[in-house]
Amino acid sequence: MESNILVVENLWKFYGREVILKNINFTVKRGETKVIIGPSGAGKSTLLRCINLLVRPDRGRIILDGDVITERRDVHNIRSQIGFVFQHFNLFNHLTAIDNVLLGLIKVKKLPREEAMRRAKEALLSVGITEELWRKYPAQLSGGQQQRVAIARAIAMDPKIILFDEPTSALDPELIWEVLNVMEKLSRNGMTMIVVTHELGFAIKVAHEVMFMDGGTIIERGPPNQILLNPKGERIKRFMDRMWYLYSLNRSSKVA
Amino acid sequence: MLENILYILYGYGSAIALGLKYTVIITVTSYSIGIALGLFIALLRVYGSRLPRALLTVFVEIIRGTPMMVQLFFVYYALPELGILLDPVTASIIAIAINSAVYQSEYIRASISAIPYSQFESALSIGLTKFKIVWIVILPQAIRVAIPALVNEAIYLFKYSSIAYFVTAPELMYIGKSIGSKTFLYMEVYIILAFIYIIISILLTELAKIIERRHTVPSFIGSKV
Repeated sequence: MESNILVVENLWKFYGREVILKNINFTVKRGETKVIIGPSGAGKSTLLRCINLLVRPDRGRIILDGDVITERRDVHNIRSQIGFVFQHFNLFNHLTAIDNVLLGLIKVKKLPREEAMRRAKEALLSVGITEELWRKYPAQLSGGQQQRVAIARAIAMDPKIILFDEPTSALDPELIWEVLNVMEKLSRNGMTMIVVTHELGFAIKVAHEVMFMDGGTIIERGPPNQILLNPKGERIKRFMDRMWYLYSLNRSSKVA
Repeated sequence: MLENILYILYGYGSAIALGLKYTVIITVTSYSIGIALGLFIALLRVYGSRLPRALLTVFVEIIRGTPMMVQLFFVYYALPELGILLDPVTASIIAIAINSAVYQSEYIRASISAIPYSQFESALSIGLTKFKIVWIVILPQAIRVAIPALVNEAIYLFKYSSIAYFVTAPELMYIGKSIGSKTFLYMEVYIILAFIYIIISILLTELAKIIERRHTVPSFIGSKV
């Protein structure tokens, strides 16, 4: 079994004349958690959307588990193997929590109802959504609960990798914790994940590698301690200073 | 006057009932065809390719831009010149159904565009095909948004099916007119007709509330009655 589950090669994306992604190259190992940070407009979201083909890259290849998915035509089949967690949860508003999880299992994976039910319950419990919440509609759940249901919806599909697009940016501070906690557990259990986030604590604690993106390219990458605490470039240094300021943390005190 | 009303109800009750039957037949049939055709038009105009989209836009504008009466007369009086002869009831159903389809397509189209793209995107991300997404994610939400407008259309059609009078379809209005000209009790006849129209409209409104309540989803955009 190859250790790289995802390979991104020479990836380019243009919107009209504007370059959104500029020659992106990286690999993700099985079980790895990769965190992408960077200012808004850096192309982070577009990169994630290219990986599950919600956005078609203009040049380059993406290889998922040995499969060159940028050349495949059955995109929905590929997408069912990749989980995606959105900033605004995007649960299906007309379905209850458990039906949100069941939908993909029944309509995409074509599992029999009982088997789907078993997996949906298992997924919901693993993100701490207990039985009394299963029949609630998204609007009846807190943001944190909605995002955890969204994570359960992704997990239940048994994906090869899960992509998180700023999963906590739309949450109150207290709810951020419960979502990050679930994600940390997921990472420790060996799920392969790419996480776009501004949660530095999560990145330090959970990420195997951090990539800093700006202007459509990966400017620096490395272990979290190096990128977040001792970055080399001027641009990333300025970005990290501001990030740590927001975090009310002093870099030097953090190192010690 | 009450006496006269009772006289008409006794003497012409069965005729009025027959008229009501035709009114209901015209309304229900044209509404059902209208909603099915309207859904089809709406889906093609939102998700279809350029040609059907353009053709349907022209069609919708033509129907919306002409009076229903013109459309009815066209079907009943003009089509025979092409060898298509229709009885009054069928002609009315066809004309009203087409007219209603166009309006219903606009209600449905508007409610589809009220569903945020993020719903579509997240359905794509779990691997659903476009067709399934429209069917099991977008439409169930869009129809909920459209329910008030669609019910309104039903009430409207029930009243405006009286237009079939002009091509001699034996619906309520037509029956009323002929009773009137026989008895000269126009006031009483039209009071009875108005009463029937009001009662059924109220019933439809109540039915709509029940439908909405049954399909309501907590604090969903379309769930307010």
